[in-house]
Amino acid sequence: MSHAQPLCLMLAPGQVARDARDLRWSTLMAAAQEGDGAAYATLLAECLPFLRAICRARLRDAAEAEDAVQDALLTLHRVRHTYDPARPFRPWVAAIAERRALDRLRRRGRQVARETLLDDAAELGAEGEAEERLAACQLREAVGELPQAQRTALQLTKIEQLSLQEASARSGMSIGALKVATHRALHSLRRRLTGGAP
Amino acid sequence: MKTEEMITRLAEGLRPVRRMPSPPVMLALWTLLAASVIGLAALVFGTREGLDRPMTRFDMMHSLAALLTALLAGLAAFELALPDRDRRWAWLPLPAIGLWLGTMGVGCVGELVRLGAEGIRFHVSWPCLQFIIGLGLPMAGLMLWLTRHAAWIRPGPVAGFGALSAAAFASIGLTLVHPTFGPLMVLAWHGVAVLAVTGLAALFGPRLAWRVPA
Repeated sequence: MSHAQPLCLMLAPGQVARDARDLRWSTLMAAAQEGDGAAYATLLAECLPFLRAICRARLRDAAEAEDAVQDALLTLHRVRHTYDPARPFRPWVAAIAERRALDRLRRRGRQVARETLLDDAAELGAEGEAEERLAACQLREAVGELPQAQRTALQLTKIEQLSLQEASARSGMSIGALKVATHRALHSLRRRLTGGAP
Repeated sequence: MKTEEMITRLAEGLRPVRRMPSPPVMLALWTLLAASVIGLAALVFGTREGLDRPMTRFDMMHSLAALLTALLAGLAAFELALPDRDRRWAWLPLPAIGLWLGTMGVGCVGELVRLGAEGIRFHVSWPCLQFIIGLGLPMAGLMLWLTRHAAWIRPGPVAGFGALSAAAFASIGLTLVHPTFGPLMVLAWHGVAVLAVTGLAALFGPRLAWRVPA
Protein backbone atom coordinates (compact mmCIF):
# COMPACT_ATOMS: atom_id res chain seq x y z
CA MET A 1 0.00 0.00 0.00
CA SER A 2 2.84 2.34 0.83
CA HIS A 3 3.83 2.54 -2.84
CA ALA A 4 0.34 3.42 -3.96
CA GLN A 5 -0.06 6.14 -1.37
CA PRO A 6 2.10 8.80 -2.98
CA LEU A 7 -0.15 8.58 -6.02
CA CYS A 8 -3.23 9.11 -3.90
CA LEU A 9 -1.82 11.78 -1.62
CA MET A 10 -1.94 14.74 -3.94
CA LEU A 11 -2.17 18.42 -3.16
CA ALA A 12 -5.44 20.29 -2.95
CA PRO A 13 -5.79 21.23 -6.66
CA GLY A 14 -5.09 17.59 -7.61
CA GLN A 15 -7.59 16.47 -5.00
CA VAL A 16 -10.50 17.88 -7.01
CA ALA A 17 -9.22 16.31 -10.23
CA ARG A 18 -8.68 12.98 -8.49
CA ASP A 19 -12.17 12.95 -7.04
CA ALA A 20 -13.70 13.78 -10.42
CA ARG A 21 -11.64 11.04 -12.04
CA ASP A 22 -12.55 8.53 -9.37
CA LEU A 23 -16.20 9.36 -9.84
CA ARG A 24 -15.81 8.93 -13.60
CA TRP A 25 -14.09 5.55 -13.15
CA SER A 26 -16.77 4.52 -10.70
CA THR A 27 -19.51 5.43 -13.23
CA LEU A 28 -17.67 3.58 -16.02
CA MET A 29 -17.31 0.51 -13.81
CA ALA A 30 -20.99 0.57 -12.93
CA ALA A 31 -21.76 0.66 -16.68
CA ALA A 32 -19.30 -2.20 -17.25
CA GLN A 33 -21.13 -4.24 -14.62
CA GLU A 34 -24.25 -3.72 -16.73
CA GLY A 35 -22.39 -5.17 -19.72
CA ASP A 36 -21.23 -1.95 -21.46
CA GLY A 37 -18.07 -3.11 -23.23
CA ALA A 38 -17.12 0.34 -24.53
CA ALA A 39 -17.26 1.82 -21.01
CA TYR A 40 -15.16 -1.10 -19.78
CA ALA A 41 -12.51 -0.63 -22.46
CA THR A 42 -12.34 3.10 -21.70
CA LEU A 43 -12.07 2.45 -17.97
CA LEU A 44 -9.30 -0.14 -18.30
CA ALA A 45 -7.34 2.03 -20.74
CA GLU A 46 -7.61 5.03 -18.39
CA CYS A 47 -6.61 2.90 -15.38
CA LEU A 48 -3.62 1.37 -17.11
CA PRO A 49 -1.05 4.05 -16.11
CA PHE A 50 -2.28 3.84 -12.52
CA LEU A 51 -1.94 0.04 -12.49
CA ARG A 52 1.49 0.26 -14.10
CA ALA A 53 2.65 2.77 -11.49
CA ILE A 54 1.63 0.42 -8.67
CA CYS A 55 3.22 -2.66 -10.24
CA ARG A 56 6.42 -0.88 -11.24
CA ALA A 57 6.82 0.47 -7.72
CA ARG A 58 6.86 -3.15 -6.49
CA LEU A 59 8.72 -4.88 -9.31
CA ARG A 60 11.95 -3.55 -10.74
CA ASP A 61 11.85 -5.75 -13.83
CA ALA A 62 9.71 -3.97 -16.43
CA ALA A 63 8.49 -7.20 -18.10
CA GLU A 64 7.59 -8.69 -14.73
CA ALA A 65 5.72 -5.51 -13.80
CA GLU A 66 3.78 -5.65 -17.07
CA ASP A 67 2.86 -9.29 -16.36
CA ALA A 68 1.60 -8.18 -12.95
CA VAL A 69 -0.50 -5.48 -14.65
CA GLN A 70 -2.03 -8.16 -16.88
CA ASP A 71 -2.68 -10.38 -13.87
CA ALA A 72 -4.36 -7.42 -12.17
CA LEU A 73 -6.56 -6.80 -15.22
CA LEU A 74 -7.62 -10.45 -15.27
CA THR A 75 -8.39 -10.40 -11.55
CA LEU A 76 -10.33 -7.16 -11.94
CA HIS A 77 -12.31 -8.84 -14.73
CA ARG A 78 -13.07 -11.92 -12.63
CA VAL A 79 -14.15 -10.06 -9.52
CA ARG A 80 -15.82 -7.09 -11.22
CA HIS A 81 -19.13 -8.03 -9.59
CA THR A 82 -17.62 -7.27 -6.15
CA TYR A 83 -17.24 -3.56 -6.85
CA ASP A 84 -19.80 -1.36 -5.11
CA PRO A 85 -20.27 1.89 -7.11
CA ALA A 86 -21.19 3.68 -3.88
CA ARG A 87 -17.55 3.33 -2.80
CA PRO A 88 -14.41 4.89 -4.37
CA PHE A 89 -13.06 2.91 -7.30
CA ARG A 90 -9.38 3.67 -6.88
CA PRO A 91 -8.73 1.81 -3.58
CA TRP A 92 -10.58 -1.20 -5.00
CA VAL A 93 -8.46 -1.41 -8.14
CA ALA A 94 -5.26 -0.45 -6.29
CA ALA A 95 -5.74 -3.32 -3.81
CA ILE A 96 -6.05 -5.77 -6.71
CA ALA A 97 -2.91 -4.47 -8.42
CA GLU A 98 -0.96 -4.51 -5.14
CA ARG A 99 -1.93 -8.11 -4.54
CA ARG A 100 -0.94 -9.29 -8.01
CA ALA A 101 2.36 -7.42 -7.84
CA LEU A 102 3.10 -8.98 -4.44
CA ASP A 103 2.29 -12.43 -5.81
CA ARG A 104 4.80 -11.87 -8.61
CA LEU A 105 7.36 -10.58 -6.12
CA ARG A 106 6.96 -13.66 -3.91
CA ARG A 107 7.15 -16.00 -6.90
CA ARG A 108 10.27 -14.20 -8.04
CA GLY A 109 11.79 -14.52 -4.56
CA ARG A 110 11.20 -18.27 -4.54
CA GLN A 111 12.68 -18.56 -8.04
CA VAL A 112 15.80 -16.64 -7.01
CA ALA A 113 16.20 -18.87 -3.93
CA ARG A 114 16.03 -21.96 -6.14
CA GLU A 115 18.51 -20.51 -8.60
CA THR A 116 20.91 -19.72 -5.74
CA LEU A 117 20.71 -23.32 -4.54
CA LEU A 118 21.52 -24.55 -8.05
CA ASP A 119 24.50 -22.20 -8.25
CA ASP A 120 25.85 -23.60 -4.96
CA ALA A 121 25.40 -27.14 -6.25
CA ALA A 122 27.28 -26.23 -9.44
CA GLU A 123 30.46 -25.58 -7.51
CA LEU A 124 30.28 -29.00 -5.89
CA GLY A 125 29.61 -31.09 -8.96
CA ALA A 126 30.28 -29.22 -12.14
CA GLU A 127 30.26 -32.25 -14.44
CA GLY A 128 26.74 -33.44 -13.70
CA GLU A 129 25.57 -29.88 -13.74
CA ALA A 130 27.12 -29.31 -17.16
CA GLU A 131 25.12 -32.20 -18.57
CA GLU A 132 21.99 -30.75 -17.02
CA ARG A 133 22.81 -27.36 -18.47
CA LEU A 134 23.33 -28.85 -21.91
CA ALA A 135 20.01 -30.67 -21.65
CA ALA A 136 18.38 -27.46 -20.47
CA CYS A 137 19.98 -25.58 -23.34
CA GLN A 138 18.75 -28.15 -25.86
CA LEU A 139 15.31 -28.01 -24.33
CA ARG A 140 15.26 -24.21 -24.44
CA GLU A 141 16.36 -24.33 -28.08
CA ALA A 142 13.71 -26.88 -28.96
CA VAL A 143 11.04 -24.84 -27.20
CA GLY A 144 12.26 -21.76 -29.06
CA GLU A 145 11.71 -23.49 -32.39
CA LEU A 146 8.10 -24.36 -31.64
CA PRO A 147 5.41 -22.33 -33.38
CA GLN A 148 4.28 -19.31 -31.32
CA ALA A 149 0.88 -20.78 -30.39
CA GLN A 150 2.44 -24.01 -29.13
CA ARG A 151 5.06 -22.10 -27.16
CA THR A 152 2.41 -19.94 -25.52
CA ALA A 153 0.28 -22.99 -24.68
CA LEU A 154 3.28 -24.81 -23.19
CA GLN A 155 4.39 -21.78 -21.21
CA LEU A 156 0.97 -21.16 -19.67
CA THR A 157 -0.25 -24.70 -19.03
CA LYS A 158 2.97 -26.58 -18.23
CA ILE A 159 5.51 -24.01 -17.03
CA GLU A 160 3.27 -21.53 -15.24
CA GLN A 161 0.83 -24.36 -14.51
CA LEU A 162 -2.24 -22.22 -15.02
CA SER A 163 -5.61 -23.89 -15.32
CA LEU A 164 -7.01 -24.13 -18.85
CA GLN A 165 -9.51 -21.36 -18.06
CA GLU A 166 -6.78 -19.04 -16.80
CA ALA A 167 -4.49 -19.89 -19.70
CA SER A 168 -7.36 -19.27 -22.11
CA ALA A 169 -8.16 -15.89 -20.55
CA ARG A 170 -4.48 -14.92 -20.60
CA SER A 171 -3.69 -16.01 -24.14
CA GLY A 172 -7.02 -15.41 -25.81
CA MET A 173 -6.86 -18.98 -27.21
CA SER A 174 -9.85 -21.25 -26.79
CA ILE A 175 -9.53 -24.16 -24.35
CA GLY A 176 -9.70 -26.63 -27.23
CA ALA A 177 -6.95 -24.80 -29.13
CA LEU A 178 -4.81 -24.73 -25.98
CA LYS A 179 -5.18 -28.47 -25.47
CA VAL A 180 -4.25 -29.25 -29.08
CA ALA A 181 -1.30 -26.83 -29.06
CA THR A 182 0.05 -28.24 -25.76
CA HIS A 183 -0.27 -31.80 -27.03
CA ARG A 184 1.51 -30.97 -30.28
CA ALA A 185 4.24 -29.07 -28.44
CA LEU A 186 4.94 -31.98 -26.08
CA HIS A 187 4.92 -34.42 -29.01
CA SER A 188 7.42 -32.29 -30.99
CA LEU A 189 9.72 -31.89 -27.99
CA ARG A 190 9.64 -35.61 -27.21
CA ARG A 191 10.56 -36.49 -30.80
CA ARG A 192 13.28 -33.89 -30.98
CA LEU A 193 14.93 -34.68 -27.64
CA THR A 194 14.83 -38.46 -27.99
CA GLY A 195 16.61 -38.25 -31.34
CA GLY A 196 13.66 -38.74 -33.68
CA ALA A 197 13.05 -36.52 -36.66
CA PRO A 198 11.41 -33.21 -35.68
CA MET B 1 0.15 -10.45 -25.75
CA LYS B 2 0.25 -6.71 -25.28
CA THR B 3 -1.71 -5.29 -22.38
CA GLU B 4 -3.71 -2.97 -24.63
CA GLU B 5 -4.72 -5.97 -26.73
CA MET B 6 -5.79 -7.80 -23.58
CA ILE B 7 -8.02 -4.86 -22.63
CA THR B 8 -9.71 -5.00 -26.04
CA ARG B 9 -10.29 -8.74 -25.65
CA LEU B 10 -11.66 -8.41 -22.12
CA ALA B 11 -14.09 -5.71 -23.23
CA GLU B 12 -15.25 -7.67 -26.27
CA GLY B 13 -18.53 -9.45 -25.63
CA LEU B 14 -18.56 -8.26 -22.02
CA ARG B 15 -21.42 -9.87 -20.14
CA PRO B 16 -23.40 -8.07 -17.43
CA VAL B 17 -22.76 -9.28 -13.89
CA ARG B 18 -24.98 -9.34 -10.85
CA ARG B 19 -23.49 -6.97 -8.32
CA MET B 20 -22.60 -8.64 -5.04
CA PRO B 21 -24.72 -7.70 -2.05
CA SER B 22 -22.97 -5.85 0.80
CA PRO B 23 -21.27 -7.91 3.56
CA PRO B 24 -24.09 -7.33 6.11
CA VAL B 25 -26.64 -8.63 3.57
CA MET B 26 -24.39 -11.61 2.82
CA LEU B 27 -24.11 -12.24 6.57
CA ALA B 28 -27.90 -12.22 6.90
CA LEU B 29 -28.14 -14.71 4.02
CA TRP B 30 -25.43 -16.89 5.55
CA THR B 31 -27.12 -16.84 8.98
CA LEU B 32 -30.40 -17.85 7.37
CA LEU B 33 -28.72 -20.72 5.53
CA ALA B 34 -26.85 -21.85 8.66
CA ALA B 35 -30.07 -21.71 10.73
CA SER B 36 -31.83 -23.82 8.08
CA VAL B 37 -29.04 -26.42 8.12
CA ILE B 38 -29.07 -26.57 11.95
CA GLY B 39 -32.88 -26.81 11.94
CA LEU B 40 -32.68 -29.67 9.45
CA ALA B 41 -30.05 -31.43 11.58
CA ALA B 42 -32.27 -31.02 14.66
CA LEU B 43 -35.16 -32.58 12.70
CA VAL B 44 -33.01 -35.51 11.53
CA PHE B 45 -31.18 -36.20 14.82
CA GLY B 46 -33.95 -35.03 17.17
CA THR B 47 -33.49 -32.46 19.90
CA ARG B 48 -31.89 -33.46 23.19
CA GLU B 49 -33.82 -34.12 26.35
CA GLY B 50 -34.37 -31.16 28.63
CA LEU B 51 -34.16 -28.56 25.90
CA ASP B 52 -37.37 -26.99 27.23
CA ARG B 53 -35.78 -26.44 30.66
CA PRO B 54 -34.05 -23.08 31.32
CA MET B 55 -30.40 -23.07 30.27
CA THR B 56 -27.65 -23.06 32.87
CA ARG B 57 -25.58 -19.91 33.12
CA PHE B 58 -22.64 -21.71 31.52
CA ASP B 59 -24.69 -23.05 28.61
CA MET B 60 -26.23 -19.64 27.99
CA MET B 61 -22.88 -17.84 28.01
CA HIS B 62 -21.29 -20.53 25.89
CA SER B 63 -24.08 -20.42 23.29
CA LEU B 64 -24.14 -16.62 23.20
CA ALA B 65 -20.37 -16.43 22.76
CA ALA B 66 -20.54 -19.08 20.03
CA LEU B 67 -23.28 -17.13 18.27
CA LEU B 68 -21.28 -13.92 18.51
CA THR B 69 -18.21 -15.74 17.13
CA ALA B 70 -20.25 -17.22 14.27
CA LEU B 71 -21.68 -13.82 13.31
CA LEU B 72 -18.51 -11.75 13.67
CA ALA B 73 -16.25 -14.32 11.99
CA GLY B 74 -18.81 -14.49 9.17
CA LEU B 75 -18.86 -10.71 8.79
CA ALA B 76 -15.04 -10.60 8.84
CA ALA B 77 -14.93 -13.26 6.10
CA PHE B 78 -17.37 -11.32 3.88
CA GLU B 79 -15.54 -8.03 4.42
CA LEU B 80 -12.06 -9.50 3.86
CA ALA B 81 -13.27 -11.19 0.68
CA LEU B 82 -13.59 -7.75 -0.96
CA PRO B 83 -10.44 -6.17 -2.40
CA ASP B 84 -10.80 -2.68 -0.92
CA ARG B 85 -11.63 -3.62 2.66
CA ASP B 86 -9.21 -3.00 5.49
CA ARG B 87 -7.33 -6.06 6.68
CA ARG B 88 -8.11 -4.96 10.26
CA TRP B 89 -11.53 -6.59 9.81
CA ALA B 90 -9.63 -9.71 10.86
CA TRP B 91 -9.55 -8.34 14.42
CA LEU B 92 -13.33 -8.14 14.69
CA PRO B 93 -14.11 -11.71 15.78
CA LEU B 94 -11.19 -11.97 18.22
CA PRO B 95 -13.03 -10.58 21.31
CA ALA B 96 -15.91 -12.99 20.66
CA ILE B 97 -13.48 -15.90 20.30
CA GLY B 98 -11.84 -14.80 23.54
CA LEU B 99 -15.23 -14.65 25.25
CA TRP B 100 -16.11 -18.09 23.91
CA LEU B 101 -12.89 -19.62 25.21
CA GLY B 102 -13.18 -17.55 28.39
CA THR B 103 -16.65 -18.86 29.30
CA MET B 104 -15.42 -22.39 28.79
CA GLY B 105 -12.27 -21.68 30.80
CA VAL B 106 -14.24 -20.26 33.72
CA GLY B 107 -16.60 -23.24 33.51
CA CYS B 108 -13.65 -25.62 33.60
CA VAL B 109 -12.16 -24.01 36.68
CA GLY B 110 -15.58 -24.12 38.36
CA GLU B 111 -15.93 -27.80 37.54
CA LEU B 112 -12.44 -28.57 38.82
CA VAL B 113 -13.17 -26.75 42.08
CA ARG B 114 -16.54 -28.51 42.45
CA LEU B 115 -15.45 -32.05 41.61
CA GLY B 116 -11.70 -32.01 42.16
CA ALA B 117 -9.21 -33.46 39.69
CA GLU B 118 -10.32 -37.02 40.52
CA GLY B 119 -13.93 -36.25 39.80
CA ILE B 120 -13.25 -35.47 36.16
CA ARG B 121 -13.34 -38.39 33.78
CA PHE B 122 -11.77 -37.71 30.46
CA HIS B 123 -13.37 -39.45 27.53
CA VAL B 124 -13.51 -38.97 23.78
CA SER B 125 -16.87 -37.62 22.71
CA TRP B 126 -17.20 -39.06 19.23
CA PRO B 127 -20.79 -37.85 18.68
CA CYS B 128 -19.64 -34.33 19.55
CA LEU B 129 -16.70 -34.50 17.13
CA GLN B 130 -18.73 -36.15 14.40
CA PHE B 131 -21.54 -33.62 14.67
CA ILE B 132 -19.37 -30.49 14.54
CA ILE B 133 -17.06 -31.81 11.84
CA GLY B 134 -19.88 -33.53 9.92
CA LEU B 135 -22.01 -30.40 9.95
CA GLY B 136 -19.19 -27.85 10.06
CA LEU B 137 -17.31 -29.04 6.98
CA PRO B 138 -20.27 -28.93 4.55
CA MET B 139 -21.25 -25.56 6.02
CA ALA B 140 -17.67 -24.36 5.60
CA GLY B 141 -17.92 -25.55 1.98
CA LEU B 142 -21.06 -23.47 1.57
CA MET B 143 -19.27 -20.48 3.05
CA LEU B 144 -16.33 -21.02 0.66
CA TRP B 145 -18.77 -20.94 -2.20
CA LEU B 146 -20.35 -17.70 -0.94
CA THR B 147 -16.90 -16.08 -0.70
CA ARG B 148 -15.37 -17.77 -3.78
CA HIS B 149 -14.35 -14.43 -5.30
CA ALA B 150 -11.84 -14.11 -2.42
CA ALA B 151 -9.65 -16.71 -4.14
CA TRP B 152 -7.92 -13.82 -5.93
CA ILE B 153 -7.81 -11.54 -2.92
CA ARG B 154 -7.20 -13.07 0.54
CA PRO B 155 -8.01 -16.78 0.20
CA GLY B 156 -6.45 -17.99 3.47
CA PRO B 157 -7.96 -15.59 6.02
CA VAL B 158 -11.37 -15.66 4.31
CA ALA B 159 -11.48 -19.47 4.30
CA GLY B 160 -10.31 -19.56 7.93
CA PHE B 161 -12.85 -17.05 9.25
CA GLY B 162 -15.61 -18.51 7.09
CA ALA B 163 -14.95 -21.99 8.46
CA LEU B 164 -14.73 -20.66 12.02
CA SER B 165 -18.17 -19.13 11.53
CA ALA B 166 -19.47 -22.44 10.16
CA ALA B 167 -17.95 -24.43 13.03
CA ALA B 168 -19.34 -22.02 15.62
CA PHE B 169 -22.82 -22.40 14.11
CA ALA B 170 -22.35 -26.19 14.13
CA SER B 171 -21.32 -25.99 17.79
CA ILE B 172 -24.57 -24.13 18.58
CA GLY B 173 -26.45 -26.80 16.65
CA LEU B 174 -24.78 -29.46 18.77
CA THR B 175 -26.07 -27.93 22.00
CA LEU B 176 -29.62 -28.37 20.62
CA VAL B 177 -29.08 -32.00 19.68
CA HIS B 178 -26.55 -33.49 22.05
CA PRO B 179 -26.44 -33.37 25.87
CA THR B 180 -23.38 -31.53 27.20
CA PHE B 181 -20.87 -33.27 29.47
CA GLY B 182 -19.72 -30.28 31.45
CA PRO B 183 -17.38 -27.44 30.56
CA LEU B 184 -14.17 -29.44 30.41
CA MET B 185 -15.45 -31.91 27.84
CA VAL B 186 -17.18 -29.12 25.95
CA LEU B 187 -13.94 -27.15 25.84
CA ALA B 188 -11.96 -30.16 24.75
CA TRP B 189 -14.19 -31.52 22.03
CA HIS B 190 -15.88 -28.40 20.78
CA GLY B 191 -12.46 -26.80 20.65
CA VAL B 192 -10.83 -29.70 18.82
CA ALA B 193 -13.68 -29.95 16.32
CA VAL B 194 -13.82 -26.19 15.64
CA LEU B 195 -10.04 -26.12 15.26
CA ALA B 196 -10.17 -29.08 12.86
CA VAL B 197 -12.84 -27.48 10.65
CA THR B 198 -11.13 -24.07 10.67
CA GLY B 199 -7.67 -25.53 10.03
CA LEU B 200 -8.84 -27.80 7.21
CA ALA B 201 -10.68 -24.97 5.49
CA ALA B 202 -7.80 -22.51 5.86
CA LEU B 203 -5.42 -25.13 4.45
CA PHE B 204 -7.46 -26.59 1.62
CA GLY B 205 -10.11 -23.91 1.09
CA PRO B 206 -7.93 -21.61 -1.02
CA ARG B 207 -6.95 -24.50 -3.31
CA LEU B 208 -10.61 -25.43 -3.77
CA ALA B 209 -11.66 -21.82 -4.26
CA TRP B 210 -9.15 -21.39 -7.12
CA ARG B 211 -11.00 -24.10 -9.03
CA VAL B 212 -14.40 -22.47 -8.72
CA PRO B 213 -15.17 -19.71 -11.23
CA ALA B 214 -15.89 -16.39 -9.53
